[in-house]
Amino acid sequence: MNNIKHRFEVIKAVALVTYKEWSAYRTHSMVSIFVGPVYFLVQYFIWNAVYGNQGAALHGLELEQMLRYYGAIALIGYLTMDFADWNLQMLVHSGKFLTFQLRPIHHRFFALSQKLGHRVLGFLFEFLPCFLIFQFIFKIDMIPKYLGFTIISILFAFFMNFYVNYCIGLSAFWLVQASGIRNVFQALSSVFSGALIPLVFFPDFIQKLLFFLPFQYTTYVPAMVFSGSYTLAGISMSIPQIVLLQGIILLLTIGLSEVLYRRAIYRFTAAGG
Amino acid sequence: MKKYLMIYKESMRVSIASAATYRANFILHSIITLLGNIVFPLVTLLIYGSGASFEGWSMYEVLLIQSIFTMSTGLSNMFFGGMVWNTMEHVREGTFETVLIKPVDCMFYLLATNFGIHSFGVVAGGMVVFIISLVHVGNATIVMWLQFLLLFLMGLFVMLGMELLMAATSFKWVANSRIPEMYGSVRQFGNYPQTIFNKSIIYLTSFILPVGMIGFFPASALLGRLEWWMLVSIFPCILFLMLGIWVYRYMVRLYEGVGG
Amino acid sequence: MTNEFYKTNRKERAVENIISVEHLCKKYTTYKRESGFKASVKSFFHREKVYVDAVKDVTFQVKRGDIIGILGPNGAGKSTTIKMLTGTLYPTEGVINVMGFSPYKDRISYVRNMGAVFGQKSQLIFDIPPLDSFRMNKAIYGIPDKEYEETLHTLIEILELEDKVMRPTRVLSLGERMKCEFIMAMLHNPPIVYLDEPTIGLDVIAKQNIREFIKQMNERGTTFILTTHDLEDVQQLAKDVIIINKGEKVFDGSIADLRRNLGNKKVVELTVDSYSEKGIVYGNKNIEIRGTTVISELSHQKTTLEVDTDVISISEFMNELSSQYAFTDISIKELSMETIITKIYKETGNKE
Repeated sequence: MNNIKHRFEVIKAVALVTYKEWSAYRTHSMVSIFVGPVYFLVQYFIWNAVYGNQGAALHGLELEQMLRYYGAIALIGYLTMDFADWNLQMLVHSGKFLTFQLRPIHHRFFALSQKLGHRVLGFLFEFLPCFLIFQFIFKIDMIPKYLGFTIISILFAFFMNFYVNYCIGLSAFWLVQASGIRNVFQALSSVFSGALIPLVFFPDFIQKLLFFLPFQYTTYVPAMVFSGSYTLAGISMSIPQIVLLQGIILLLTIGLSEVLYRRAIYRFTAAGG
Repeated sequence: MKKYLMIYKESMRVSIASAATYRANFILHSIITLLGNIVFPLVTLLIYGSGASFEGWSMYEVLLIQSIFTMSTGLSNMFFGGMVWNTMEHVREGTFETVLIKPVDCMFYLLATNFGIHSFGVVAGGMVVFIISLVHVGNATIVMWLQFLLLFLMGLFVMLGMELLMAATSFKWVANSRIPEMYGSVRQFGNYPQTIFNKSIIYLTSFILPVGMIGFFPASALLGRLEWWMLVSIFPCILFLMLGIWVYRYMVRLYEGVGG
Repeated sequence: MTNEFYKTNRKERAVENIISVEHLCKKYTTYKRESGFKASVKSFFHREKVYVDAVKDVTFQVKRGDIIGILGPNGAGKSTTIKMLTGTLYPTEGVINVMGFSPYKDRISYVRNMGAVFGQKSQLIFDIPPLDSFRMNKAIYGIPDKEYEETLHTLIEILELEDKVMRPTRVLSLGERMKCEFIMAMLHNPPIVYLDEPTIGLDVIAKQNIREFIKQMNERGTTFILTTHDLEDVQQLAKDVIIINKGEKVFDGSIADLRRNLGNKKVVELTVDSYSEKGIVYGNKNIEIRGTTVISELSHQKTTLEVDTDVISISEFMNELSSQYAFTDISIKELSMETIITKIYKETGNKE
């Protein structure tokens, strides 16, 4: 019990400090209030032109669903955005990772608390304004069909993003040029997470493959849960089913990050990093 | 002018030499930018692959617009992009004085010394898609090519003007590293056939912030779809560049006055 | 002089040991790198393992309330030893016991009871006031409110940082930042604090402030383990010194012992007015005075000699010197710390 209380105190303190740290860059976050709606506007015209010509649904998506999809991925992005990979790599390469080994805290726990603080900032200065703009100025219905499941799915995506990126960051313990891996992963993620276009547009074999890759669980899945129905590679799942699958994948990722973390720490403490 | 060309030459040499030293890194980086380049025609390919289209435009016509847009942004990153970051860095670290004490015009100097070979992959990727699209959309006459080159150059003017404006803001609005993202988003309006947008956006992107010049207008010239009012956009492009130069110089003078 | 000569043990004091290290070893495995194309292709398939002994059979004790300086040239095994003491590196062999903890086995519970300041690895967060970073560590270490307020108040007072801790870290001077690093490391009142290059890059006044602070905290009972390249730190702070070279402990004792072990020597700086016909001093290491050697010649006129006062007394030396040479200026000094240390490094390093 005491332990849980202590952990909560740590989360609170680290999140608060991170919030304050990044508050100095509030204006940086607020750039999103401009950028988000502009990108959305571009998508708005693109899909209006595409559907205007074609009329019927594309891959089972109506125009309105398509626009809601792009609104949702923008908003989900603000809530789950993560740079644990970059952060960890920087700590390892600068040698500052050591200062965490010298304190009674697990770095991953610290980093997760940091992300929480950072995303509270994102919630206030990116998510809320953009939500209001989408909802009331662009008149796109941004209220999810199943609010509870959507929140759970976004939370899972939040953790998924973190644990996956943390694994990528851990590569810095083995590689000097770990930024290469990070860039490749980010490039793949930008295409296959669904942030570019709904994944149902991809060829069938890629859609099948995507079930076994981490990408869709960070963006496409929560966006589809938001919209109220999930389909990929011709497989339709009910919302509870896909959220459950997302949770299982998340657990696997957490397990993987734990294995990698232990190996990395063994390497760090056996060889001196 | 000759002095700056010499500086440019030196800077290019250094950039290429350092890319050669970290060859593995450079190759990896190029592969990544190439991967990133696969993305730009991807959405178009997937849309047309689904049997849908942008009304009134064939797939290769759209790809031509987008490849020209990509080449333009790639060239601009290569030649102008480094300057924004470099100015920001100098202002943040308080080292801009080291530039001011040199016996050269600081704007030209920063442009010349910040040549970046790493965007080569972007230009190359754009070029490949450009050639493929060109083969499919048919022949362009010499006049059309000349029009294209003129408009493409104007597009670069807009890019340079914008980069200068962004660099200039960093003197006052100390290094908001996300400002380029704002331009990056607005620029997207030049990446698609303009006919899909509504009237006010067409006016805005043709005459006020002429990002249409980055991709759509030059592509229209090659496709023989050029209209007379598109040529009017040349004036705002030139004005934009002049504005960029003027604001940048003004901010430098202001900085000298305050920071000296 | 043999290595054994330096390995005198410090006098036993009736205080408990806070650290005891026995037969500590650290071996690294690396792979042999060969040049040439053929060799590099070969090494692609089969690499020859090479073992490097970073630390070899090091044994020492530290008493509660001490300040110990660990010295050694770069790559001697100092930081490897410190990392093993702080629990961030596993030893290959040997036993470390710090306050009953085995650092690498009980890391989490151990680090609650120690502090560390690494001069080149900041714990402070750059963009916000140190006070916020302190609060974060308060939570991480689970320091009770009352204890936190008291300790913070005391530390801020001693370090004279009253108004500084509210300002963003980035606007503080290097010296102020280092002071804040000390607060960061000592908020939880650790009985033992490791310092790695704590005065690096600081100006003279800031260095002196930090040293005063360490002294004061030591008087309040904190044990410090200090590694540094600044011998002034050691001279002013350390009660005892451990010197490590090529992974081995080559000296362990007080600073007075260190001087004594090298013999009673004086340094004589001599300025000669002109070439004397007996000018043997120039370019000739064989001085014809007993117990005297030339250390360096700055110019033809200036020479530094080392005189062993066990062989020849200073008055005898002066007599002989003035009978042989004409000089315009002379100064007689103690052997500097730097000279002593350099000698030890050289003598213990060249044995292979």
